[in-house]
Amino acid sequence: MIVLLIKNFIRSKGFLVGLAILFISGMIGLNIGKQFLDKNRDIIEKTAHFQKENIHRYVQYMDKEMGLLLYYVRFGLVNETPNIVGLSIGQRDINPSLHSVTIRNLEEQKYTTDLMNPMYQLIGNMDLSFVIIYFFPLIIISFGFNLVSEEKEEGTWSLVLSQTSNPQKMLRLKVGIRYISILFILFLLLIIAKFYLSIPFDIYLITYILTAFLYVSFWFSLVWLVISFHKSSSQNALILLTSWITLTIIVPALMNALVIQLYPIPEAFSTVLESRDGYHTQWDKAKEPTIEKFHQLYPQLAHFQHPKNKDFSWLWYYAMQQMGDETAIESSKILKEKIRKRENLSKTLALLIPTIHTQLTMNAVCSSDMANYLKFVEALEEFHKQKRMFFYPKIFSDTPVSSENWDNFNLEYFKNQPFINLYMVLLPYIITTILCLLWANINFGRKKYTL
Amino acid sequence: MLIANNLTKKYGEKIALNNLNLHIQTGEVFALLGQNGAGKTTTINCFLGFIKPTSGDVSINGVSVVESSSDTKRYIAYIPETVMLYPNLTGVENLAFFSSLAGFKYSKEELSSFLTKAGLQESAHHQSIKSYSKGMRQKVGIAIAVAKKAMALLLDEPTSGLDPKASNEFSEILKELSINGTSILMATHDIFRAKEVAHRIGIMKEGNLVSVIEAKNISANELEQLYLQTV
Repeated sequence: MIVLLIKNFIRSKGFLVGLAILFISGMIGLNIGKQFLDKNRDIIEKTAHFQKENIHRYVQYMDKEMGLLLYYVRFGLVNETPNIVGLSIGQRDINPSLHSVTIRNLEEQKYTTDLMNPMYQLIGNMDLSFVIIYFFPLIIISFGFNLVSEEKEEGTWSLVLSQTSNPQKMLRLKVGIRYISILFILFLLLIIAKFYLSIPFDIYLITYILTAFLYVSFWFSLVWLVISFHKSSSQNALILLTSWITLTIIVPALMNALVIQLYPIPEAFSTVLESRDGYHTQWDKAKEPTIEKFHQLYPQLAHFQHPKNKDFSWLWYYAMQQMGDETAIESSKILKEKIRKRENLSKTLALLIPTIHTQLTMNAVCSSDMANYLKFVEALEEFHKQKRMFFYPKIFSDTPVSSENWDNFNLEYFKNQPFINLYMVLLPYIITTILCLLWANINFGRKKYTL
Repeated sequence: MLIANNLTKKYGEKIALNNLNLHIQTGEVFALLGQNGAGKTTTINCFLGFIKPTSGDVSINGVSVVESSSDTKRYIAYIPETVMLYPNLTGVENLAFFSSLAGFKYSKEELSSFLTKAGLQESAHHQSIKSYSKGMRQKVGIAIAVAKKAMALLLDEPTSGLDPKASNEFSEILKELSINGTSILMATHDIFRAKEVAHRIGIMKEGNLVSVIEAKNISANELEQLYLQTV
């Protein structure tokens, strides 16, 4: 029977078209991922090259004062981009994977990034995750919405019912064939992705594969549930498409609105303003209080003093820059805390919504989520602090520029290995899928098989 | 053996079947005549377990359809008025599929012989159903029913759409099945086919079985007259 069901399915026009659409869009998704990785790699390589070149140029021009030199010189920290990011670009297109900063006021520099095409940001990247989350369900719906109703509407159902007391076996085979054909395309794309993007076969790729597999399974269980109500094809299509729109567009939008409502972040604006005011206003103030505050922060630098009767010193200038960060420190903390809370609330709510859960999980395993960026920002703060602490004594003691080996200042890398709680990743799918299947089973049992 | 005891089916206030009693013996062909809406198809659907009677019972080979319709499926074969098949499969493949649903696995030769016996020309056996006429699909339906080797055969206007030659061949198949012990209940508008094939003929009107006649005791013309007077 199964061979004939496969033949019947394969010979239908929609079969090849559906699978071809998935495969082609999946390949486009992989190509977009590859382009992103290449572009990112290119930016990092060029930045590494230009950082060296710039330092050398500035050292030649400003060889007298280290304070002046370090006003200009930038040091880069790279948020290492594993190749698996090519599967799910996530927040990486908005948040930069590389920050080049001077030792001046950090807060403002955090928001200095590449110019992006806003149109791209509006629609998001059509990476493989996008294809899996948005396109796969549509093809699953098109393959399964009329699994029973088609038989009734085409008139074969009465003959089927007269031949067997257990048509559910046939229906299971029919849905099974469609399930395997979709999984075939999914795994084919994942195998191609593994080699095309040179992704190592590790826990992250395995989690990604399991997530995609369970997400597809969830949609099949939802289709199975809807057809178990024995409605007409048009009703099934309407219910399933409404579910798709609800789960992929409406609920995420509502959730986003809820998260913004619960955790508004006026600090995003105030942090920058406070930071700017923090040092700009110092120009018009007496220098002593600024330096005093600076010494309180860094008692180990207390022996460096602003020369009396002088309007300018690098100690005062960098103390003033430091005040920018210090003034905004509270807002910056609150900002990060609220972003973290937003992220946590989204993840908790997403446990009930497979589409969002899939997006967040894929971003997390691909190190392209907000949590990764927050950790990168923390690493950047630490990186910036280390650079300051390294150069402050040299600047304030007028150490000659030539005494420093500037070749040592290469790009540095931040590597984040996200922790994956497999239970939290997989259980929501398993529970929702089992619930759908149980409910469908009750429906099939209750309604029996009638015309 | 097909038995209906005080079989009643109501749709709200409308009575589709009213206290129908029917006993069809092993090897007997019983034809139900009547206008559209007389209750012929409802009777067949009750035997098939497609609809649940309001009261009364139907049984096949001693097993109640109401209580265990799934158990009675193996005793029956069915040919609807319009046999609809899977358009992406050939005639042979459709027969193989429906036979496998019933738990039968036949060789290609056996499948072809069922189709040939049902009157389907050999050149059509491996053609897609899309190219089949209604009559050709009807013949595949006959082959499906015959291949099931069921004890009882339920036919709902089975010769609808068949040409006279095919209709005649179909009658021969029914006779052969009857000789081999298959009980047959056939709903039809074709008075002459009923007279030719059936042992007994029942005339239905508004859900009631108003008369039952032994086919051998009446000519086709008399049957037609009786039918016209009754309905």
